[in-house]
Amino acid sequence: MANAPSLPDSTALRDETELRRVRQLGSARSGLREWRLQRLTALALIPLGLYFAASVLRLATSGQLTAAAWLSSPVPALLVILFVLAGLAHALIGVKSVLLDYVHTRARLLAAELLVRAAAVILAGASVLAILKLFLGR
Amino acid sequence: MNRPLSPFMFPTWYRFQTTSGLSILHRLTGIALAVGSILLAWWLVSVAAGGELFAATHAFIASPIGMLLLFGWSIAFFYHLCNGVRHLAWDAGFGFELRQAYRSGYAVLAAAALLTALAWLYVFLV
Repeated sequence: MANAPSLPDSTALRDETELRRVRQLGSARSGLREWRLQRLTALALIPLGLYFAASVLRLATSGQLTAAAWLSSPVPALLVILFVLAGLAHALIGVKSVLLDYVHTRARLLAAELLVRAAAVILAGASVLAILKLFLGR
Repeated sequence: MNRPLSPFMFPTWYRFQTTSGLSILHRLTGIALAVGSILLAWWLVSVAAGGELFAATHAFIASPIGMLLLFGWSIAFFYHLCNGVRHLAWDAGFGFELRQAYRSGYAVLAAAALLTALAWLYVFLV
């Protein structure tokens, strides 16, 4: 620690952080956490996605069951909320990794990431509020 | 730095391979599905709001453009789902041999086509 050279800001992308020296190998930043969250949400989205797809098919072919009635029952309400949250978390990590590959200016990358994050939070909030309104108002 | 960056290698310098094509398709379908989450949230809000907003949303979804979008998203959904399982298998250390990678790739294409076809047959025939 005492001998750690102080790095200028322009080299901040290098792996020479204190945590890097402690852990020796592997990422010293948040890469592993995102990698893990992407796989975790991917696993969750297999059953949740299939459930959602099957439910939408059932809604499309059923003359009686309406979307509002379906979403106001507890199990569909819970599973669709989980589907939306897992899906948007998964999408956010994916879109951010695409941005990282194609946006080469740090300021633009930060702006784009914040914009995408804001969109994901707004979409998640709106979806959850809509389902809660149907579920609580039945 | 005027070196060519990897995305620009593809049409000029790289020979097309099925495996890398499928990898690009995974990204493209992922982006398409992320955009689709806007329609999903909009649809959920319109169901909660009911009335005119729901009627307008429903009319848009049932229109030719809406159905075309839904068809595209269903392909993207089933492809990304099947290829995602392939990725999870790789993450777990399975299927890295070139032959296996090609086989699983063709299996993913077949499974995605089958699931999409079954879903739409169900909608139109049931």
